[in-house]
Amino acid sequence: MTKNKIRFTPLDAVLIVLMLAAGLFLVRRIGVDLNYRWQWPVTLQYLVRMDGGSWTAGSLAQGFLTTVKLSLWATALATLLGTILGLMRVSHSLFDRLVAGSYVEMVRNLPPLVLVFIVYFFIGDRIMTLLGIEGLIRSASPATQAVLTFLFAPPARLSGFFAGLATLVLYEAAYITEIVRAGIQSIEQGQWEAAHALGLSRRQQLRYVILPQALQRILPALAGQLISTIKDSAIVSVISIPELTFQGLELMSATYLTFEIWITITALYFILTFTFSIGVRRLESSMQTKSSAG
Amino acid sequence: MSADERIIEAREIAKTFPGGVVALDRFTLAVRRGEVVVIIIGPSGSGKSTFLRCLNGLEEIDGGSIVIDGIPLDHHRKNRLLIRQEVGMVFQSFNLFPHMTVRENIDLAQIRVRKKTRTDAAETTMSLLAKVGITEKADRYPHELSGGQQQRVAIARALAMSPKVMLFDEATSALDPEMIGEVLDVMRTLAAEGMTMVVVTHEMGFAREAGDRIVFMENGRIVEEGETERFFAAPREERTHAFLGQIL
Ligand SMILES: Nc1ncnc2c1ncn2[C@@H]1O[C@H](COP(=O)(O)OP(=O)(O)OP(=O)(O)O)[C@@H](O)[C@H]1O
Ligand SMILES: [Mg+2]
Repeated sequence: MTKNKIRFTPLDAVLIVLMLAAGLFLVRRIGVDLNYRWQWPVTLQYLVRMDGGSWTAGSLAQGFLTTVKLSLWATALATLLGTILGLMRVSHSLFDRLVAGSYVEMVRNLPPLVLVFIVYFFIGDRIMTLLGIEGLIRSASPATQAVLTFLFAPPARLSGFFAGLATLVLYEAAYITEIVRAGIQSIEQGQWEAAHALGLSRRQQLRYVILPQALQRILPALAGQLISTIKDSAIVSVISIPELTFQGLELMSATYLTFEIWITITALYFILTFTFSIGVRRLESSMQTKSSAG
Repeated sequence: MSADERIIEAREIAKTFPGGVVALDRFTLAVRRGEVVVIIIGPSGSGKSTFLRCLNGLEEIDGGSIVIDGIPLDHHRKNRLLIRQEVGMVFQSFNLFPHMTVRENIDLAQIRVRKKTRTDAAETTMSLLAKVGITEKADRYPHELSGGQQQRVAIARALAMSPKVMLFDEATSALDPEMIGEVLDVMRTLAAEGMTMVVVTHEMGFAREAGDRIVFMENGRIVEEGETERFFAAPREERTHAFLGQIL
């Protein structure tokens, strides 16, 4: 494998200086022409602030944390659901294929925003009440509540968090279903046939022969879906889940620090997705070196 | 010959692929218990692979009947599963499981299908690897092996199920010439042990020396069959003459 070494040339230096100059110019123009007063110190307080001698997370940092939790849970659960539906997509049973196929088509052809409202108003609200989950949580021991808060959200916000989570899971699962289906179908027919000839049942063929190979192949795509989930998670702000985007909206209407807040939020999303992208690229290249040995 | 004297009985089987290709046209073949090597030859597209694949249920037949070791290959799941467990198959393209070591490839069905303990399976695996002559590669992955070695592992993997019948579909066709011999040697050993084998091959030397019976098929039918010596010395059909003339 040939590696493209990144070399830093004088031209790059000139370009960076030019870009910085353009940025500074823009910031100045906003200050002078729009008469905008930059208030970075105030903004940064919403990230972290000194509170009685110790650092406390501001509302933006809390939103950031909620976004991370939401994305990780959504990806994990969507992978589970997507794997089941992906298996149904390649099932011998026409019924299974129809169910999974319709699901994928429905979700992919629905505006995500509509899906959020459907889940929130029809499913989230009603089912949570019906099952009496809220009452259950309120009467839970403080230790349980602390664990729930750590894993998901504070008790008061739990049902909203679950509605948002459910939306994301349902939405991302449709895409993961297709990733899993493609992964399974990428395995050579001969692998099925060899497993079949050895007397393994179809379930065993999948479990021991096909899925291990398919999952290895789709790992990069699944990791990529995590990045999409982070970006897509912004949509649940419309049902008041206090994730990053929602916190930004709230803060903006309270402080009018439009530019600072959105620049900060952009940076936070970027940090999150970029970190994961680097991870995914590492994963991809390490898997490439592994399989090119073969 | 009564029914239970036969290990394989395929009667009038028919197979038409979607698109209208008739791969098997009322094909009938029986293999006696104790008969060792039946060789199937024939031009490309004559239905040799299709026949082998029907025998273990890799292809569904459209008509006729298949009975293996007294078990009918019908629509009962149980019977189909039983037959797959009693019939081993070796493919042209090896089809080893690339994510498992050689040892794991051979262990898999013993543990998951035959429900053997790991220790028992490991013992069988090592003795089979000794038989095919590659004990030193037990912990290697398939891609670290040569084609000939991979095919020998594939044979060991099929044998691990202690099948009553072994099917070989052009087991040496994907191999470099210098590796063909080592695979054929393993097949000769099996024949000497009395393993019933149905072998599709283009290796006429092997067919002559190891085959008990030769079946020549074309267009999904048997053109001629006979005991090996007679078949090669005095073929009866015009078409057989022509075919043998081409390949010998
Ligand atoms: N899955 C399939 N779909 C459609 N047609 C098929 C399929 N498999 C085989 N056939 C056709 O059935 C006929 C018999 O094929 P088969 O593979 O059994 O021949 P073969 O004797 O094994 O030939 P070869 O010596 O080339 O391996 C051929 O005409 C082939 O094109
Ligand atoms: Mg063939």
